[in-house]
Amino acid sequence: MNARFEKRLLVVWLILSAITLVYLWVGSVDPARTLRPSAVVTSSAIVLALIKVRVIFREFMETRHAPVLLRRLTDGWVLLIAVCLLGSYFVGMAVR
Amino acid sequence: MTDPVAKEPMAENREKSAEFVPGQPDMWAFVMFEALVFASYFVVYMIFRTRSPELYLQSQARLDLRIGVVETLVLLMSSWSMARCVKASRAGAFRSALTNALFTVLFGVVFLVAKVFEWARVIRMGFGLSTNEFFSHYFFLTGIHFLHLLIGFIVLGVVVYQLWSPGRRSQELIETGATYWHTVDFLWVLIFALLYVVR
Repeated sequence: MNARFEKRLLVVWLILSAITLVYLWVGSVDPARTLRPSAVVTSSAIVLALIKVRVIFREFMETRHAPVLLRRLTDGWVLLIAVCLLGSYFVGMAVR
Repeated sequence: MTDPVAKEPMAENREKSAEFVPGQPDMWAFVMFEALVFASYFVVYMIFRTRSPELYLQSQARLDLRIGVVETLVLLMSSWSMARCVKASRAGAFRSALTNALFTVLFGVVFLVAKVFEWARVIRMGFGLSTNEFFSHYFFLTGIHFLHLLIGFIVLGVVVYQLWSPGRRSQELIETGATYWHTVDFLWVLIFALLYVVR
């Protein structure tokens, strides 16, 4: 296997793992405090997850080399999920 | 008759030149369909969540974030080895491809064990599918993902079978299997964020 590919995949995995570890900080809970709704934590969690999903699409699933239709479909899905999740959270919180 | 091994140099070079669809396009259609089904369920979950945030937050606090993080890291490792398997196979390094495919199976099994351990922990704490809305979503989402993981083991079996013998080794089938396995991974990335972290 080409050493360049090996290195690239390793870097991608390190980035994905590092983002995952950020969740330990974003989602940490102070036992002395009651959990409260947090738009910042929710938005961060969703955005971090979508960054990871896009990296998985492009690097592990190789859409980086795919025809434009597949690239747009996968990017479009990431965007759709972002709008749906953030939209349902903020609209839901506003109208409850 | 076409020798599948003879195609490999062309397969190795194709990502350097022309655009290509990794694996069979049918699998991509399935992935997009699955992604939309999960997306719909995620929206339902988020809307229900905003209707009674206190209940969800109190229930969510009973989950162990660290277990979720470890499960995510393990599944990312499985995806990494799957991606290495595809690249190695494309380059004609079939022994390395097979090793990476077997590592993917191993990490998948570790995730499976971790998930069963987590379910046992949650159930021992007295929470079940019908305890409340949050745990219904928790068990449903993790359960349906678990089912996809089990199907993933059959898919990985096909990949290992393809790599085992020089008479088979269809690069297209290996890439198709990889596309499915990465789908199991990216769906978990979202499920993890929604169940363990969002507030």
